[in-house]
Amino acid sequence: MPFRMTEFAPSDIERRLEFVNLGSDDRTRIAAVQRDVLDHLDEHVAAFFDHLARFEEARGLTGRAELIEEARRLKREHLVAMVSGTYGREYIEQRFRLGQVYSRAALEVSIFMGAFHTLMASVGRRIMARYPKDPLAGFEHFTSLKKVAFFDIAIIVDAMMADREQTIRQQQEAIRELSTPTLQVRDQLLILPIIGVLDTQRAKQLTESLLRAIRSHRARVVVMDITGVATVDSKVANHLIQTVEAAALMGASVIVTGVSADVAQSLVTLGIDLGRITTLGDLQGGLEEAERILGYSVVRTTAIDAA
Amino acid sequence: MPVPILKQGSVLIASIQAALTDHDLLQLRDELAEKVGRFRSRGVIIDVTALDVMDSFATRTLRGIAATARLRGAQTVVVGVQPEVAIAIVQLGLTLQGVPTALDLEEGLDLLRRSMARDLPS
Amino acid sequence: MRVAVGRDADIVTARQLGRELAAKAGFVGSDLTLIATAISEVARNIVSYADHGEIRLGLAERNGLRGLLVVAEDHGPGIIDIDQAMQDGFSTGKSLGLGLPGARRLMDEFEIASEPGKGTTVTMRKWCR
Repeated sequence: MPFRMTEFAPSDIERRLEFVNLGSDDRTRIAAVQRDVLDHLDEHVAAFFDHLARFEEARGLTGRAELIEEARRLKREHLVAMVSGTYGREYIEQRFRLGQVYSRAALEVSIFMGAFHTLMASVGRRIMARYPKDPLAGFEHFTSLKKVAFFDIAIIVDAMMADREQTIRQQQEAIRELSTPTLQVRDQLLILPIIGVLDTQRAKQLTESLLRAIRSHRARVVVMDITGVATVDSKVANHLIQTVEAAALMGASVIVTGVSADVAQSLVTLGIDLGRITTLGDLQGGLEEAERILGYSVVRTTAIDAA
Repeated sequence: MPVPILKQGSVLIASIQAALTDHDLLQLRDELAEKVGRFRSRGVIIDVTALDVMDSFATRTLRGIAATARLRGAQTVVVGVQPEVAIAIVQLGLTLQGVPTALDLEEGLDLLRRSMARDLPS
Repeated sequence: MRVAVGRDADIVTARQLGRELAAKAGFVGSDLTLIATAISEVARNIVSYADHGEIRLGLAERNGLRGLLVVAEDHGPGIIDIDQAMQDGFSTGKSLGLGLPGARRLMDEFEIASEPGKGTTVTMRKWCR
């Protein structure tokens, strides 16, 4: 099922309406009770928000004036649209937006459900009141409207979850960025200390950010230090090789440092040839080699006294 | 769509503008070969900054261009390979081996200058 | 989404559409380029060996994972020895080499069915992470 607004194809909308079994009889009944809903809009909207106000956990929404104003407005529009009989793309977009507002306000699905139920109960009371002599008819009419309500809930909850998933993804991305910093030490020289486990996902992210750093810093040499890499097996070695080759395509040469004797041995045993890649024992050596390549020479002048 | 080729002294600069068809690439190859001969160019820079995809055909053709240019006395440098494209090329298992690469036009010209200076008989 | 592939310009069309659809599926960054490149390879295959064919692109879903489905179909001469085609001279780039081994390296799933004289169908999938 799509969870981004851009992917709601007409066929998806059709399918969702089929899921709640909305038929022409339902539409007739909804039209019949339209006025009962519209005449008491404020009452129903209030029911929803009063319910939320009772809970600490809904503070994210109820405690923020701008958000709650927009939410009230959207909720009102929501109810009007619910009994309109037209449930197309625009309708879906409205629900989606509502879901996003709730998500941004950190409103949990469970609380939303509770409040929504209170709203429907408020609507239901008015509908039942219209058929005092015929409770079954009242029930049937309310049931038809509830089909649309459930259709709505599905979309709103999908939107809330999609929004949360996106936030999580962004946070993960940020964490990954933080854990693989490239440092610019000199003009045209970057140092990339890699620490921790280098799985495929992280390696991919690391390569991408290194290459972008090469582009933005115009680096010609990169010293990639793998002292802190937990395990160097054939997979990791391949990631490193690919990173080095990709950097070469951008005109940057990579010096790999921090290859311990053990790691070197296991690479040989695995039959991996780091051949074309320059490897050096430690970061210091790597830096010196890099500076040599770039034509720098570090000259010691008289130390300046702190006095 | 033909690729514009500029002449800057003894260097030819081909700036690829947009998604090239195979036909365009081959045309570039022929044109460069012709111009290198005509102008006796010593260097060729192919700028692929605008290429969002470099597949096996493109890579092979670029290597071919470099080889042809070398036969006619010119050194080729490919510049502007974008990060994502670099990753794709490497993952495809391809290589531009034999063809020096640089970050961009400026670096490319620098590289050419240094290598041409080395080649001059003393 | 179907793209008829017959001339080299169609290769560009197919891969650009593939990139767009992949973006909709949620792919970001270098994955988009990998997908476009894989499509370029199989599309070129069609143009070079089968004269014309079709690339079908679609969203894929499995166990909550979203991804892209690419099917490249032609009614060309077919491949006589699939195993050989999947490894023949590709990396060295010396022979013309079919773009198939490369495409396989870039995608997560790769299936190929071919019958000499009847045609070839390549089915590839990549999943969003």
